[in-house]
Amino acid sequence: MATGGAKREDHARLLQEIAQMLEDGLETQTEPFPETAQEFARILDELRALDPDDVKGRLVIAGFLNHPYGPDGQRCQECIYYLVHRRWCDLPELSLPVEPEWWCRLWKI
Amino acid sequence: MANLLWLQGGACSGNTMSFLNAEEPSAVDLVTDFGINVLWHPSLGMELGDNLQKLLRACVSGEIALDIFAFEGTVVNAPNGTGDWNRFAGRPMKEWVRELANVAQFVVALGDCATWGGIPATAPNPTESQGLQFLKRERGGFLGPDFTAKSGLPVINIPGCPAHPDWITQILVAVATGNAGEITLDEFQRPKTFFTSFTQTGCTRNMHFAYKVSATEFGQRKGCLFYDLGCRGPMTHSPCNRILWNRQSSKTRAGMPCLGCTEPEFPFFDLEPGTVFKTQTVMGVPKDLPAGVDQAGYIKLTGAAKAAAPAWAEEDIFVV
Ligand code: SF4
Ligand code: SF4
Ligand code: SF4
Repeated sequence: MATGGAKREDHARLLQEIAQMLEDGLETQTEPFPETAQEFARILDELRALDPDDVKGRLVIAGFLNHPYGPDGQRCQECIYYLVHRRWCDLPELSLPVEPEWWCRLWKI
Repeated sequence: MANLLWLQGGACSGNTMSFLNAEEPSAVDLVTDFGINVLWHPSLGMELGDNLQKLLRACVSGEIALDIFAFEGTVVNAPNGTGDWNRFAGRPMKEWVRELANVAQFVVALGDCATWGGIPATAPNPTESQGLQFLKRERGGFLGPDFTAKSGLPVINIPGCPAHPDWITQILVAVATGNAGEITLDEFQRPKTFFTSFTQTGCTRNMHFAYKVSATEFGQRKGCLFYDLGCRGPMTHSPCNRILWNRQSSKTRAGMPCLGCTEPEFPFFDLEPGTVFKTQTVMGVPKDLPAGVDQAGYIKLTGAAKAAAPAWAEEDIFVV
């Protein structure tokens, strides 16, 4: 059974891996931004079709960036799926550690 | 003694089920303690065929005083305005409804179908259904905008899909015991005592609403259902978290979003695929905001609330 400490280490390791991929210039699909709930649902369908261990695939389809996006500076910090204290994206189709200054196109307020 | 007649038009019997499950007061209490004489009801009435027609005609002629005419279900006008798709006791139901409404002291519409048309009147409305005095938000309905019952009151609307058992029996008791004067109605003719506060009033997820922590799956105990799962609690007038269902719970307490069933537009978005149980957004911002909140205010509030959210708001705090 994983202890709390081991879980924290996993979280930190995965966060570091994701940060590195984004730092290295991983090309992700930031557009089109889903304007409606129906378009949003189509992106979720694409995510559900991925292998559950395919973290890179999730980053690409969701259009991850390691900085805020757009004129309003949209970022995880204000996104409804972001758990501030756990630094975690709680959208079931993503379920990833994320930083408050990051963004993806599933952003919702 | 107050005579109650209950008929059913285009409906699923949901409000009858609700009525028969009432506890405070129960359907039996209505008869034994509050002097209501049930002339006829689809599940309780003894008369059939000719005897039923005789009873209905006696009500229309005034031979039997009709104090309360309760109607459940839509008024069906199809095909082509004849109402023949819903015949009852030898003629289209709509003809009975018109004549009985004209002689009743009080007319009570029970459930969404009778109040505003509900699901049957959803586009394309093949049954040409109407509510008694509304069609969705539009005043008028089958009886027309100026209709008043003999008491002077318009149709008393008790919406819901179905209406809560106690909303039904408490209003019937108020009317039957001569306390109708104390029932004040809102712009949609709903008793204000039940339909002024919101579904959200008393919801156990209010703290998660305030700190903008979202539930992302049905039944999750943490999080509010507004942000992702389409909960209409903040803009729906109902006492569902004050007068609990089965005296135990409510949709939102059980992790199921409020569908807004007490509002005239229900079901929202004409049930188009992808609109049920999903918060409708435009560019990431909810289309329907809590009553009285504007978009700029909402965005500011979200930023502030998330920045202030305590760690416990992210955990399941219900340990039993
Ligand atoms: S959905 Fe996207 S923007 Fe929102 S918290 Fe998750 S990663 Fe961040
Ligand atoms: S679950 Fe619905 S009713 Fe409850 S707090 Fe959230 S929005 Fe309001
Ligand atoms: S919680 Fe909402 S959908 Fe459910 S009964 Fe109450 S008003 Fe209707």
